[in-house]
Amino acid sequence: MIRLENVSKVYPTSTRPALDDVSVEVERGEFVFLIGPSGSGKSTLLRLLLREDLPTGGSVWVANWNVGRLARRRVPRLRQRMGCVFQDFRLLANKTVAENVAFALEVIGKPRHTIRTVVPEVLDMVNLAGKADRMPAELSGGEAQRVAIARAFVNRPLVLLADEPTGNLDPETSTGIMTLLERINRTGTTVLMATHDRQIVDSMRRRVVELSSGKLARDDDRGVYGVVR
Amino acid sequence: MLFVWREALVGLRRNLTMTIAMIITTAISLGLLGAGLLAVRTIDRTEDLYYSLIAVQVALDEPTSADDPDCSTPVCTDLRRDLEANPLVASVEYESRDAAFARFQRIYAGQSILQLVRPQSLPATLRVTMNDPLRGAEIVAQFTGKPGVRNVVDQRSTVADLFSFLGSVRNVTFGLAVVQAVAALLLISNTIQLSAFTRRTEVGIMRLVGATRWYTQVPFLIEAIVTGVVGAVLATGGLVAGKVFFLDRLLSGRLLANTIPPIGMTDVLGYVGPVLVVVGAVIATATGYVTLRLYVRT
Repeated sequence: MIRLENVSKVYPTSTRPALDDVSVEVERGEFVFLIGPSGSGKSTLLRLLLREDLPTGGSVWVANWNVGRLARRRVPRLRQRMGCVFQDFRLLANKTVAENVAFALEVIGKPRHTIRTVVPEVLDMVNLAGKADRMPAELSGGEAQRVAIARAFVNRPLVLLADEPTGNLDPETSTGIMTLLERINRTGTTVLMATHDRQIVDSMRRRVVELSSGKLARDDDRGVYGVVR
Repeated sequence: MLFVWREALVGLRRNLTMTIAMIITTAISLGLLGAGLLAVRTIDRTEDLYYSLIAVQVALDEPTSADDPDCSTPVCTDLRRDLEANPLVASVEYESRDAAFARFQRIYAGQSILQLVRPQSLPATLRVTMNDPLRGAEIVAQFTGKPGVRNVVDQRSTVADLFSFLGSVRNVTFGLAVVQAVAALLLISNTIQLSAFTRRTEVGIMRLVGATRWYTQVPFLIEAIVTGVVGAVLATGGLVAGKVFFLDRLLSGRLLANTIPPIGMTDVLGYVGPVLVVVGAVIATATGYVTLRLYVRT
């Protein structure tokens, strides 16, 4: 589902590469944690997958797209098949909860009657059925993140990318978010989650890919945050 | 599609003062353009009106004019034959001294000037209707000084002043329209940039969710088009008001009555109005498109 072949990324303003010859493969339906300290290249890797940046070397594959070679006008198609969730939620501030979720469907041209049935279903799944008409500013952090997850999941993406989705949340709320991501993973969606959260990684016991200074440091099948000896 | 319109409306409301400035400038520019178009139309009509009446008059000298009721002297027949053979000439009519005097009496009936004029002071004339009224000067040049000719007058030159006045009205309005149009274009371009800047986070999120460039940018284009069309409608309204409250009174007044044909309501609503709407929409769209291409990279 995701394949990185000898991927490097050097930002023009920096001498040290953000990613240095990284090769990783993620199968369909896997749940993978991407860990490493700040500046280790986690966000860069996610940006390359979303085609927000281009790799300086190697190739990035998502499903059957060679992301680095994708024509600009085909980028929206790629993103429509991927869901993404961020630490800062990135909701549209002037739209209600339901409109935020509906937006992901409008963008891919889903008919209105489909939107009207699918959006409540997804909001129900993330336990926000009662808050469909709230504005993002009226939500707690956990609620806002659940809206973001609903938006990312609503058009059944192939891959869900999550960049520190629990970074702004307390442990209890984080657990709720993780439960949600696990449920989504069980539907067959590949999940790739970048995180600092040791507790979450240790409790889930999923595959762990660790980056260190842009290099692949570790790839454990059922790993924990710290190295097991 | 509904989404796109909603976004455009929100955008216009967000920068309300800017939107108003943009619409007013656009309206003034288009209004001036419209006034120019109406001036062109009026000039054309006035020219039609006058050119059907005016002619080149070849006045005959005293000996030739005297006692010749039907252009039978050899000098007169020669002149007439030469004129009729000329490719520029459509037709030639002879007006004898007596006929000229009779017409003079008719025109100035009851006025004191009649007492002063004798038939002897009026020449017989050959009235030449031109194929192309604009080329009267060539006849003047060819026939001035020929035997039997007193002088040759191109009547067009007497109305030339009127046309040059109308022409400069047209040029001035077009000039002002261009200057205003530049201001309107810059305002539209600037407002779109501002609008795009205030919404850059929003647009960024939309792009991440998979919105196409087209989808995120069409609302800005619609904002521009709405401005152009609303501006055009206001401009047309302004022209109607100008016609009713100013031009109609001016042209029906003593000074200019029957000199310049009046401008009809169909000229404003049926011709200039639609032209302004199309011009406004097209120019606003083009400006919006170019601005988005050049300045808004999301």
